[in-house]
Amino acid sequence: MKQPDELILSMQDGNEKAFSKLYSMYSEALFGIIYSIVLDEAVAEEVMQDVFIKIWNNSKSYNVKKGRFFTWILNIARNTAIDKTRSKAYKNSKKNLSTTNFVDIIATSDNLNKKTNAIGIKKYLDALKPACIKIIDFLIFKGYTQKDAAKEMDIPLGTLKTRNRKCMQDLKTIVLG
Amino acid sequence: MNVQELIESGNLELYVAGSLSIEESREVEEAIEKHPEIKQQVEMIEAGVITLAEAVSPPLSALIWSQIVDNIRKVRSISDRKDSSTNWGAITGWAAAVLALAGIFWMLKEKNDLQDRVQYTTTQNTVLEEKVEKTETELADANEVLDVIRSKEYNSYTLPGNQAVAPQAFAKVYFNKKDKIAYIDAKGLPEAPRGKVYQVWSLTMQPLTPTSVGLLDATAETKNRLFRVDMSQVASTEAFGITLEPEGGSETPTMDQLYTLGQVTP
Repeated sequence: MKQPDELILSMQDGNEKAFSKLYSMYSEALFGIIYSIVLDEAVAEEVMQDVFIKIWNNSKSYNVKKGRFFTWILNIARNTAIDKTRSKAYKNSKKNLSTTNFVDIIATSDNLNKKTNAIGIKKYLDALKPACIKIIDFLIFKGYTQKDAAKEMDIPLGTLKTRNRKCMQDLKTIVLG
Repeated sequence: MNVQELIESGNLELYVAGSLSIEESREVEEAIEKHPEIKQQVEMIEAGVITLAEAVSPPLSALIWSQIVDNIRKVRSISDRKDSSTNWGAITGWAAAVLALAGIFWMLKEKNDLQDRVQYTTTQNTVLEEKVEKTETELADANEVLDVIRSKEYNSYTLPGNQAVAPQAFAKVYFNKKDKIAYIDAKGLPEAPRGKVYQVWSLTMQPLTPTSVGLLDATAETKNRLFRVDMSQVASTEAFGITLEPEGGSETPTMDQLYTLGQVTP
């Protein structure tokens, strides 16, 4: 997917229409990331609003020549969502929440109206090793650094890197067919 | 790392996910600059991550976008207000107020000036009207005199100066015997001194009887020392005499002050 640099520059100039187009392009992916972190639709919607307001207000701090726009907004989404999970109100309401990852969410998803064929992806995800699922969850959905992920999984960094390489190749096969 | 090694390292996925260290990210960025195939790989991975994340997303309410738009518009209008250090609305308002006030004072002054001018003009008009009136009266008087002099009912006589008292003096009489009205033109008489007045006498010769017919004072003056004299009290007149008498006139003429005397032909 080529990055829509013109839309991004236009949004940086304060063009609301360009911002609206970028929203259509990236909102569902970011909502998936946010939801996988907060695991509550109402909270995810709140976070979603905050995230896009941040994107709009800080658009000038992104440089199209440096880094991917998606990576930039992905970071904003993950950080805002993680901040939310650290709030007292959120912790009180989610005391009994069991750990859930993206595979569990897709597995229990009954939403057939989205552009992605979640059911189709589900089939392939079932083939992913549990360790891989964890790595992908940590690195992509939770935004951990490799070092943090290794610490979280209690494996050496070298091991994580090796596993990660394999997992990412598997993932590529899954999502790109 | 060569291109193939980089693609197989799994670092491009981590680059898209934002999980690489700064040095590792820089390495990928340099590779993207140099190798279009790396860029293509990164774009593919990004598309894959987006697809995966979208698969996780619950249905997205349209309300979210409308709330975002409401919010950024509100924020923008607030920050716009904050940003403008000069409040043009207020400045314009004050400027308008000052202008209006100045305008009111100017108009008041203008009104006063105009009132003064109107008053001045009115006064001038009154003066002019008076002048016109006076001129009209004078014209009427002059016409009346002219009528008198021109009419056939009036005969004109010149009363020569008395050699003994005032040899240069003279008076003219315009006399209407029928209506018994006479006009005395005293232009030829010297100005009467203070406290003195000319008195006109009608005379009959056989015997010499003077009868006062009036004083040449302001009440009788019509115009330019032309005096109207009522002769209705006098039965007949053969001559006119004018004497200088004390103010108020005398019963009988003071003969050594006789200025003019002249006969009236029947």
